[in-house]
Amino acid sequence: MNTDKKIIPLAMLALGAILTIYALILDLTGATGELRGYILILGVILLILGVFKMPHKKHTKIVNMVFLFPMVFTFAVTVIIPFILGIIYSFTDWNGIQVTRFVGFENYITMFKQSDYVYSFVITLIYTVINMVLVNVVGFVLALVCSSKIKGTSFFRSAYFLPNLIGGLVLGYVWQFIFNKVFTTIFAGSLSMLTDANLALLAILIVNTWQYAGYIMLIYLTGLQTVPKDVLEASGVDGASALTTLFKIKIPMIANTFTVCIFLTLVNSFKQFDLNLAITNGAPSRIMGPKIIQATELLALNIYNTAIRKNNYALGQTKAVVFFIILAAVSLTQVAISKKREVEL
Amino acid sequence: MKKRFLSVAAGVLAVSAILAGCGSGAAKSDGGADNQSSAAETKAGESKADSAASGDALRLINGKIEIDAQLKKAAEKFKEKTGQEVVIESLGGGVDIQGQIKSYKAADNMPDLFVIGGDGDYANWTDMVADLSDTEFAKNTDFAYKDKTTGKVVGFPYAVEGYGITYNADILEKAGIDPATLKNYDAFKAAFEKLDGMKDELGIQAVASVAAEAGQMYWSTGNHLFGYYYTGGLERGDNKYFDMAMKGELDDERLGEFADMTELLFKYADPQVLVSGTYDDQLALWAQGKTAFITQGNWIDPSLPTYNVSFKAGLLPLAFTKSDMTRILADCPSWWCVYKDGKNVEGAKAFLDFLATDPDAQEILVKEAGMISPYKTSTIEPETPLAVSLKKYVDAGETSSWAWSNMPEGLAQNALGLVFDSFAKGSITRDDFVTLMKSTMADYIANNKK
Repeated sequence: MNTDKKIIPLAMLALGAILTIYALILDLTGATGELRGYILILGVILLILGVFKMPHKKHTKIVNMVFLFPMVFTFAVTVIIPFILGIIYSFTDWNGIQVTRFVGFENYITMFKQSDYVYSFVITLIYTVINMVLVNVVGFVLALVCSSKIKGTSFFRSAYFLPNLIGGLVLGYVWQFIFNKVFTTIFAGSLSMLTDANLALLAILIVNTWQYAGYIMLIYLTGLQTVPKDVLEASGVDGASALTTLFKIKIPMIANTFTVCIFLTLVNSFKQFDLNLAITNGAPSRIMGPKIIQATELLALNIYNTAIRKNNYALGQTKAVVFFIILAAVSLTQVAISKKREVEL
Repeated sequence: MKKRFLSVAAGVLAVSAILAGCGSGAAKSDGGADNQSSAAETKAGESKADSAASGDALRLINGKIEIDAQLKKAAEKFKEKTGQEVVIESLGGGVDIQGQIKSYKAADNMPDLFVIGGDGDYANWTDMVADLSDTEFAKNTDFAYKDKTTGKVVGFPYAVEGYGITYNADILEKAGIDPATLKNYDAFKAAFEKLDGMKDELGIQAVASVAAEAGQMYWSTGNHLFGYYYTGGLERGDNKYFDMAMKGELDDERLGEFADMTELLFKYADPQVLVSGTYDDQLALWAQGKTAFITQGNWIDPSLPTYNVSFKAGLLPLAFTKSDMTRILADCPSWWCVYKDGKNVEGAKAFLDFLATDPDAQEILVKEAGMISPYKTSTIEPETPLAVSLKKYVDAGETSSWAWSNMPEGLAQNALGLVFDSFAKGSITRDDFVTLMKSTMADYIANNKK
């Protein structure tokens, strides 16, 4: 009796497996023809049905797994597989078309020997720290202004947020025009900020703050609104000044908002690419001893230039892997530290 | 039980829907031009219909978007004559062309014809291009791209472009300078000084329009201007200075002369445009008659009507040497290769021969696209001012090749352009320029060996 029941599912499984493998072989050997897709689908369907029909206690669980498939499949195709491939490519001499050999850790060693990469690394760290502080301070101050009792706060809120809705590249080119043409016309005879190595970095900082502070402000604003009115009233009755209220009540109570905002700005500044590309594209030059390098080439742009402009996909990929590791480590540490400082209501 | 069966059926349906999506996509991808919707400037719908009609339309990836319409017109003509359909897919305007072709390769959707810009690009495709030595066009031109090791013709030249220093003939005439005498550094120096002294009289803002900002204009300085160091004044195919540079060495005397010329150019250039100007700024300044010279080539022809240019103009070699230099740098800016494993290699060759030898096709490319034909058999004369000027050099054989297009990728943007940028801003002297140029070149070559 039991064996009878098993025959049909077993046959289905066997046929399904054969069809699937046949279709995969066709695919790998590069055979053409429309049929192989259908054979594959049929094979997989037979496999699933075979498992379902198999008299076994666990088969409901298998069915549940089937429902997860679309999600898992999409996630694998768009995230997991490219990520793993990326790591594999970093150990090869991939040129964007094919891999001819594995080179081990060669790319990782080359990378840190290149002065332009090390420079990009340092400049990105400096940029990230300054930008993080700048955006958060400005964003928080704007949030305080917008949550105060002055008139027209809703207008200011949307006005400050507006730059965030414009794409980074467009914004970058607009600001480049402002730096190169408008400022040099207002201060007649002066050279553009973008021609000086340090001022050019400052220019990117200004534009990024202008663009991003409004967004951060919005998050702080939501945070500030969660501070209970009764606590604020109580402090007012006790005669606390505005500053005391701010530092002793508001800021501690929205510590989790700070965690979010610092995390966002940290990641955002570290990954800075579009503004960098549009405003300076790495220029101007900076002379360091016997070498000359691009003064504002941040890490993301350096990776892009390595892969695309220098046509060195494997090395670019390697830099991207290291970029990911650093970014993950830094942001996880930051979140862990900030979490400790949060107060539960 | 029934309920469960329904749920399984639903699950299976979901899975098969996803797999079906993949399956049919993979099956059709070798059918040709049907998944290029992302490609810039391509009318996806149109090409889809076209390829469906003929089944095996040839596909060309063109890297020069300016001539897209003209190429499509030539392709129409080709279809009229032979019945073979050609789909032109033009990329440009900031699209990473080689990256796009690489992704076509990865998707098993290689075009029959694709563009390469020089040795760097070619290195990726060496094993995948067809030998074009036996074609008609190959016998008729000096500008074909040849494999450096085998000597076989692999790239089809579609146009010749040339550059040097372009002058405003009206201004020079007013100042009493004969452009024909500007053949060496001293002549240029004297002319620049004279023009500088007559600025108010001539109504010009500066003598030359030069842009040397590293982020956007590196191609003009690091590629074009420095290209004169490599091959300026040399016979076609003479690559001695270039080969030397690719070993990381630069010739002191020649580089010294080049540095003097660069200094001269920068000294008499409009300072604002020099350090922060874009291509448009540079061009506008010259085209509005505010400078006598511009360091660009014949590609500015199509832009001249935008500024209502009425003055006469011509091209000169950037003669930086003490001795006379009469050759101009002219070459094909990029070439088209035939994909060896394409379905219709012979058809692709026929199309290239058609473009090169058919009078109608040449008429379209020369007259309408404003290009100069690299083919000896072509008798059609260009009409735009700089093309006319350039054609004289080409006809007289007074041209040198563009070695710079074979530089390692990124050399101009990530290294040489920066040295020009510093020099333009005045942060380094002429002697620093020479030493930095040498160390930068040596460094880049050593660090970017593949």
